Amino acid sequence: MRRLVASVPLVFGIATIIFFVVHAAPGDPSTTLIRPGLTPEMAAQLRANYGLDQPIPIRYVKWLGSMLTGDFGRSITHGRPTLDVVMDALPNTLLLSACALMFAFFFGIVLGAIQAVRQYSALDSTLSVVLLFFYSMPSFWLALMLSLSLTLFARNVWEWPFWFPGSGVSGTSYDSLSVIGKLGDRLWHLALPTLSLALALTAGIARYMRASMLEVIKLDYIRTARAKGLPERSVIFKHALKNALLPIVSLLGLYIPVLFSGTVLIESIFAWPGMGQLIYLAIGQRDYPLIMACTFIFAILVVLANLLADLLYAVVDPRVRYD
Amino acid sequence: MRKTIALGAAIFGAASGIACGGDGGGDLASADPFCQRVVPAVEAFMTQARADHPTPSDDRYGGTVVVGGAAELRGGMNSAGAVDYVSVQHHQFVNLMTLIDYDQDAEPRAYLAERWEVSEDVSEITFHLRQDVFWHDGEQTDAHDVAFTYGLVTNPVVGFSNPAYWDHYEQGDQAVEVVDDFTIKIRMRPHVDFLDPWRTVGILPEHLLGDVPPDALGTHPFGSECPVGNGPFVFVSHTPQDRWVFTANTAFPQGLGGRPFLDRYIYRIIGEQTTSLTELLTESTDVYLSVPPDQAQRIIDDPAVDLMHFRSRNFAFVAWNSRKPQLAAAEVRRALTLGTNRRAVIDAMLHGYAGVANSGVPPLHWAFDRNLAALDEYDPQAAATLLEEAGWTDRNGDGVREDAEGTPLTISVKYRSGAQLQKGIVEIMQSELGQIGVDLRPEAVEWTTLIRQTFNVARDFDGLIMQYAVDYRLDDTDSFHSARSDVGSALSGTSDQELDRLLERLSAAPDREAAQPLWTQYQRVLNEVHPYTFLYFPERIHGISKRLRAVEMDARAEFLNIKDWHLDPASR
Repeated sequence: MRRLVASVPLVFGIATIIFFVVHAAPGDPSTTLIRPGLTPEMAAQLRANYGLDQPIPIRYVKWLGSMLTGDFGRSITHGRPTLDVVMDALPNTLLLSACALMFAFFFGIVLGAIQAVRQYSALDSTLSVVLLFFYSMPSFWLALMLSLSLTLFARNVWEWPFWFPGSGVSGTSYDSLSVIGKLGDRLWHLALPTLSLALALTAGIARYMRASMLEVIKLDYIRTARAKGLPERSVIFKHALKNALLPIVSLLGLYIPVLFSGTVLIESIFAWPGMGQLIYLAIGQRDYPLIMACTFIFAILVVLANLLADLLYAVVDPRVRYD
Repeated sequence: MRKTIALGAAIFGAASGIACGGDGGGDLASADPFCQRVVPAVEAFMTQARADHPTPSDDRYGGTVVVGGAAELRGGMNSAGAVDYVSVQHHQFVNLMTLIDYDQDAEPRAYLAERWEVSEDVSEITFHLRQDVFWHDGEQTDAHDVAFTYGLVTNPVVGFSNPAYWDHYEQGDQAVEVVDDFTIKIRMRPHVDFLDPWRTVGILPEHLLGDVPPDALGTHPFGSECPVGNGPFVFVSHTPQDRWVFTANTAFPQGLGGRPFLDRYIYRIIGEQTTSLTELLTESTDVYLSVPPDQAQRIIDDPAVDLMHFRSRNFAFVAWNSRKPQLAAAEVRRALTLGTNRRAVIDAMLHGYAGVANSGVPPLHWAFDRNLAALDEYDPQAAATLLEEAGWTDRNGDGVREDAEGTPLTISVKYRSGAQLQKGIVEIMQSELGQIGVDLRPEAVEWTTLIRQTFNVARDFDGLIMQYAVDYRLDDTDSFHSARSDVGSALSGTSDQELDRLLERLSAAPDREAAQPLWTQYQRVLNEVHPYTFLYFPERIHGISKRLRAVEMDARAEFLNIKDWHLDPASR
């Protein structure tokens, strides 16, 4: 609870810095409305309509006051309450990020453990090469290649009986589907964005896991476990794996911000209407209320994720206790 | 492990639950009181309309068409606030109605207004509206809506983005007279294309927006949460950054062809061009709007899709800032045009999908002077001669020309960062002009910064590469009249009395007979003053699925006959 309370000024500090950085950037939302023939008076009127004619400190005080009452203002580009716009996009990003995170941690841990147990085997070497390949690929390139191969080529060239949708969160006939059909449709649309976002993370986690596992299985207590005749499966899964997970848990806090920043590109490529796309476009349009709301929400999510990682650390390692 | 799987399933289930709620996930809940009021009214009227007007037995009726566009419909269906090309087309042809539209020859024809009269001195226009057009909530569209819309778009507080539309219309209380519920008179001053604004501005419902403060209209839920139109398609839902869904308006007037053939029309926002192409080729979308030229061949090669391309109303140019000493002389500006191989630019950067421009009047326009086409062909020798005559000579043998004081002929050309096309063009110009001793330097600038630097009085640029879209109503006053130098678009800052005089006469010309010779003369003088290097008229390129029939697209619009689009019955 103390850490949670301590996070409050941190979040506000981040938001304040972002407010001034964003407003210090040249241009404002009215710039994007400029058309030939717009007189200086009209341009001034447009700026006044958006409250941009006021000094930045006044705007900051107004923004802070509104935000404390839960009012993030109205998005200039969407013409809707900013919080509504964010809350439309946030579930999509959370869904994508959660799926990518689960995929990355599950397969990263499994593959890393297999590599450690089979150290220097052909399987270990093959997995290392494959994982390094994905680790070194830029995510946007990987996303485009996945889209081309598993959507376009799968359907038009290789004529597979199935292929993955190349964009969007759901199909155009989504409304007419049953509940199971809707869930299937959503999963189907999730596949490529999740893979694109998760593969590089999986490779990283697997490398950490392999190293951690190798360190653990050389420790005395593992030798003791084997000496007392425990089956190898029990030694690995019950004794080694749990301790090897300790450094991996700390990666959770580290990877969540990486994941959120990764969604900016992935969401754009797959036309996924999430926070990444939202903030990217908001920055381009200088939609100040939306930029502030997005960064504020991201800041909260990152702080919470770090808090969660710390709590998980305590769960996994009984030596760690928070008073 | 079981715990991990269970945790994963729980998170996924929760997330899916959140995201599954509605059309495509995350669509607008329409919680706003305004929407709570109007949505049931629309549903009730449309249910009744479907019962009153059953779908005719014709196999062209039915199906859903998905159009993939690069950007969100900014401003939504609020025609007083939206600025972008595709949004405006949704006002014109999808959800709202304009008073008139244009036929194939770009001649005005009746739409919401079934006829109109113009007074002999071209000082007053009277529109007679159709009496069978209803808003999607059941209210009749009438002259009060037109008067209301006119009041909005001419009200400076609303910030309508194209105020020049109304330069030739009177404004204020005396400007409009609602004669009866379906007749409205609007006072104006003579102008050859006085009808054009009425082709563009979708009429808005007074009964729904009449009590909205004008400065709050831009953020009113009418725009993108629950628009209520009177056009051939009824708004169903909007998932921000994802899609707009519309359904057929079965109450659309029989006199205008009745309901559209399509049951549903979906506009999907797909920003990434590779993804857009993939979606078209896998038949996830039926139309891919704005195909970049380098993808055109891929579409031509695919047997399931057609490529549609046509000359647009856009033109690309480099504006030369004549306030800068090295660009003050018209000879220098003209030399920069002569030294640029614009046909090579079109072939290299646009794969041939453009034509050379020598003015901002598009070739499809009645005012276009065909004799201009052959002007200013690539001639580096002539360009070099002009530079010599203007006093720019390579005095120190370093390959760059200098003036008498030894100042090198260095010109920076700014372009939007990330715009690969513009970057390529400037680099070609750099190479070609370098051969005649001009040190041209490309400078990429972030978009809003670029606008800030160039469209205000600071004019912090030498050259600026831009592309404009023009309406049928042409007026270059804001760009080139010396009295309008404070207007954002007065980029070049040239001052020429002959040009000013012609612009003033053009602005007052009452008909084409009077305006045509003036336009020809104007384009000649403009070429002499040479404020811009006009580069090209680009083509608009679109990919269309072969299962979609009767699609007509041309410089007027892409959606102009969406009401008549229909699907091959076998492919539905």
